[in-house]
Amino acid sequence: MTDWLVHPPRWLGNGWLTLRHVEAMLDGLLYTSLLSLAVIATGTLLGCALGIARHQARARWLAWPLAALHNGVRNVPLLVQVLFWYFGIGALLPESWMLWLNTPRVLLQLGDWALPWPSFELLAAWWALSLYATAFIAGDIRSGLNAVPPGQWEAARASGMRQWQVLRYVVLPQAWRTAWPPVLGSYLNTLKNTSLTMAIGVMELSYRARQIDAETLLTFQSFALASVLYVLLIVLVQRLLRPRQRAAWGAA
Amino acid sequence: MNTGIVTNNLLFFLVGAWPAGPLGGLALTVLLGAGAGLLASALGLAWGIALAQCRGWLHLALHASSELLRAIPVLLLMFWCYFLLPIVFKVDIPGVLTVLLALALVSGAYLAHAVAAGIAAVPSGQREAALACGLTPRQALRFVLLPQALRTVWPSFVNQCVTLLKDTSLAYIVGVAEFTFVANQVNNREQVYPLEVFSFVALVYLLLCSGVQWLGKRLLAGRHAPKSG
Repeated sequence: MTDWLVHPPRWLGNGWLTLRHVEAMLDGLLYTSLLSLAVIATGTLLGCALGIARHQARARWLAWPLAALHNGVRNVPLLVQVLFWYFGIGALLPESWMLWLNTPRVLLQLGDWALPWPSFELLAAWWALSLYATAFIAGDIRSGLNAVPPGQWEAARASGMRQWQVLRYVVLPQAWRTAWPPVLGSYLNTLKNTSLTMAIGVMELSYRARQIDAETLLTFQSFALASVLYVLLIVLVQRLLRPRQRAAWGAA
Repeated sequence: MNTGIVTNNLLFFLVGAWPAGPLGGLALTVLLGAGAGLLASALGLAWGIALAQCRGWLHLALHASSELLRAIPVLLLMFWCYFLLPIVFKVDIPGVLTVLLALALVSGAYLAHAVAAGIAAVPSGQREAALACGLTPRQALRFVLLPQALRTVWPSFVNQCVTLLKDTSLAYIVGVAEFTFVANQVNNREQVYPLEVFSFVALVYLLLCSGVQWLGKRLLAGRHAPKSG
């Protein structure tokens, strides 16, 4: 009866993943989550800055370079950007900096547990993904700012607030509310985008899946497990962060 | 800046090993993008219409499958196609075709949502009026609802095409010799000017994607022209 459990059909390969493989996969999931978290933090910060700057910049000498930077990052494949920073940054930075970046050391020591300095490929991945996320979040923020009626600016200015106060207390809170759903979409894309960093050897979830596939030849099992973990992570983040639904969406 | 590395390998960048080997490089990227774009448009349109028209379990199945495709990284989906398609169809499928199908599937799933939302956004009075005029439901969809919906959805189509074009670079990971793959080959062979190689590649993609965006805007302007008169 349960023979297929011991001997799965031929196209599934000759066995199942062992606990060790599942653990390696979960380790990859942790890597993916932490990298995403770091990228989302940086991307949100820089994205807000770029979005506000693009919205506020009137002078052509400032507006034009910002637009070029923004469109440049958005219209180049992420993989090319990852490779660019990974291989190319060595040619940009002085040798002493590269040495410093590549030196292994302990970042944080908590009893027996030590947080090591991230590897160079992890740094490059973080930087490339952050820039990419920045460009998309900036676009979302800018649209949100554009959606705030100009009367809000004028009224706030007329009541004696300074320019930055209007932005901080009147316009940004409203813009953020409009921008939040697309920003959340950018976060979810960031999560999926971390998979590209396997190309430079970051040991995240996709990398592990492929490694385990190569080791065990259980292609279906390893990719299925990785896919399920991705979907769970996406659904979890979506549930946690989605805006409060209005009544129109049903009684859920 | 050493431009020699680009000019010396220019032909390789453009067409890969062709004509001695299979077509590759930028030419393959453009072909992949165009082919997957056409396929994705057709798939997304049909899928979106079905999503908007069907009820019950069929709607649920269409919705769930597109959500699933959107929740998995494209890269993983490519591996899936790479692995599953030969088993399902019992034939050896070349890598290029796998990538084409994977990209069309993902983009189609994204477009399906956009098309369904576009149809839902057409005021319900339009459909009722069309039916009252004696059009069959099919005619109402074809001549009244879709033309309006597609105008709203057009920017999503253009954006999706740009995304798709960028995603062709992922074919590098399954060993299809498109532009990024070829660039990496050159980089690995020469090993001295990575900055130049990848700057050039980035610039070409930038031009390509900006061109698609510009073309999309021009076409939309053309569509709006008779209306704004």
